[in-house]
Amino acid sequence: MTLSQRQKDRIMDAGVAIALFIIMLCMLYPFYYVLILSFNKGTDSLLGGVYLWPRTFTFENYARFLNDPHWYQSFLVTISRTVSGTVLGVLFTCLVAYGLSHRDLLFRKSYFTIVIFAMYFSGGLIPYYVVLRSLGLLNSFGVYIIPSMLSTFFLLIAISFFQEIPQELKESAHIDGANEIVIFYRIIMPVSMPLIATMALFTGVGQWNSWLDSAYFVQSEELRTLAFRMMEVINKSSAPVDALAAANKAAAGVTSYSLQVAAMVVSIAPIVCVYPFLQKFFIQGIMLGSVKG
Amino acid sequence: MDLGTQMTNGSANNQSRADYWKRFKKQKVLHLFVGLGMIFLLIFAYSPMFGIVMAFKNYSISAGIRGIFTSEWVGLKHFDEFVNDYQFGTIVRNTLVLSFLKVIFAFPAPILLAILLNEAKNLRFKRFVQTVSYLPHFISWVVVVGLAFAFLSADSGLVNKALMSLGWIDKPLDILTNPDHFWGLAVGSAVWKEMGWWTIIFLAAIAGINPFLYEAAQIDGAGRLARIRHITLPGMQGTIIVVLILTIGSILGGGLVGSNFEQAFLLGNSINNPTSEIVQTYAFKVGLRDGRFSYAAAIDLIQSVISVTLIFSSNYIAKRLSGSSLF
Repeated sequence: MTLSQRQKDRIMDAGVAIALFIIMLCMLYPFYYVLILSFNKGTDSLLGGVYLWPRTFTFENYARFLNDPHWYQSFLVTISRTVSGTVLGVLFTCLVAYGLSHRDLLFRKSYFTIVIFAMYFSGGLIPYYVVLRSLGLLNSFGVYIIPSMLSTFFLLIAISFFQEIPQELKESAHIDGANEIVIFYRIIMPVSMPLIATMALFTGVGQWNSWLDSAYFVQSEELRTLAFRMMEVINKSSAPVDALAAANKAAAGVTSYSLQVAAMVVSIAPIVCVYPFLQKFFIQGIMLGSVKG
Repeated sequence: MDLGTQMTNGSANNQSRADYWKRFKKQKVLHLFVGLGMIFLLIFAYSPMFGIVMAFKNYSISAGIRGIFTSEWVGLKHFDEFVNDYQFGTIVRNTLVLSFLKVIFAFPAPILLAILLNEAKNLRFKRFVQTVSYLPHFISWVVVVGLAFAFLSADSGLVNKALMSLGWIDKPLDILTNPDHFWGLAVGSAVWKEMGWWTIIFLAAIAGINPFLYEAAQIDGAGRLARIRHITLPGMQGTIIVVLILTIGSILGGGLVGSNFEQAFLLGNSINNPTSEIVQTYAFKVGLRDGRFSYAAAIDLIQSVISVTLIFSSNYIAKRLSGSSLF
């Protein structure tokens, strides 16, 4: 039996659509599942069988999340590090990039060599730890935002972006007597919004999701990040007995696991809300990044 | 005469030096900006590089940063010790297997998805699937592992509960703890998380293909599969090579699909340890947890030397083969 070209095309269209539909389900359902789980009574969730909607609907998981001093504190720490880390990181990287974007800058080549070398080579975790320790940054909020102030990757992207800005803009400002700080703040930053949005998105998401620095460099319980707390729960719940024991002493049907699920939703929600709006920016970002390497 | 040339030379030197100084003074604010950045790099990027010497010394953290230079030299002792560690073979194998499995499975996945998306007829459906597919890229590994627990854990995971209630299995599958399943779990979750993200760049490559090529092929009677093979794939070739270079350069860290360390750390536990312990987690444990700084620095150093060699050699090979390279 031979199929005509049109029939073959139809079969292929159907195959493609089915494959994409399955991929879409695989991507979406996990998020949907934790969402309904976070609104389901914790002790009830342990029984299983919750697939499409909450069986015993409750806000208790979220209420406990906000009332639990540890979770709440880590939530606040994560918000403050995301805001301050992003503002600081974007500003500082742009400032340095603005300086380096001047083609007539003296020692420009040497500066670039220093940047590129730092991009490819690193001392590794252990010497880095020793340096942070001697700077007194260990076990402080500063360790979350100061060492990540300058990203060499975004520095290079910002430099090439600033170089595209028409010289006339700067020159006319110079003639009007504006100094470099005013030019940077009043002219360069406003015309660089696509760049700034991309950098802010990536820096912000990185800060929001970060837990490694909390694990490496921080001991204080008050400075833990949201992601770190979730990591702790995951590590503990590797032992199967724990969930049942926790369920037995659970109050109001909230288990350590259902709290964790609520925390996961809290951690995912801002990203889901923000990213459809910033799509066009981060697509530019990945293109810039991967083409430049 | 002699004196005359000397004088003009001298004044020219003075002249240019004065010029330089003038230019520098004019640029002083810019140099201040850049200088701050350089100081930052000196502290956070370069001083740890000097700290690598501790890999050849007996360093103890109580000696502070100066101790790096004052502690006694022990040559290659720590390297020797690592190579002779009873776990050495296992963790090197785990690191390599995990890295290569990720290249084999996670590298082609976004290429396939890009082709699939390109073949989709309904544009709104295509856009929606694409948007959904790169959402996981922005989610922390911690959350991804949390999702894996929600589905796969032995006591409350959805998959186990569902299979049990259907009566297909008698006792829960121990996917999260069984050493035999760790590699599959790590590679699978990495593909899930990063496939959509890398699809963006491959779709951009496809978008750059001249549409006349497709029309011409259609007139010549090429079917859809033939068009994929002879037009879409060759059109993506340059991008595929660039991404492959990036992948191989960062292979020890997990390639493009992200962190071997985070996966091994989060999905690893005492039961699946025989397959989940990798060089990075081992270095972290002996270094920061047990406080054997010099030893861990030595392990780190071996790994970074291999990584840097890989980056430069894969780039060199790509340049020779195809003319595309990154730098």
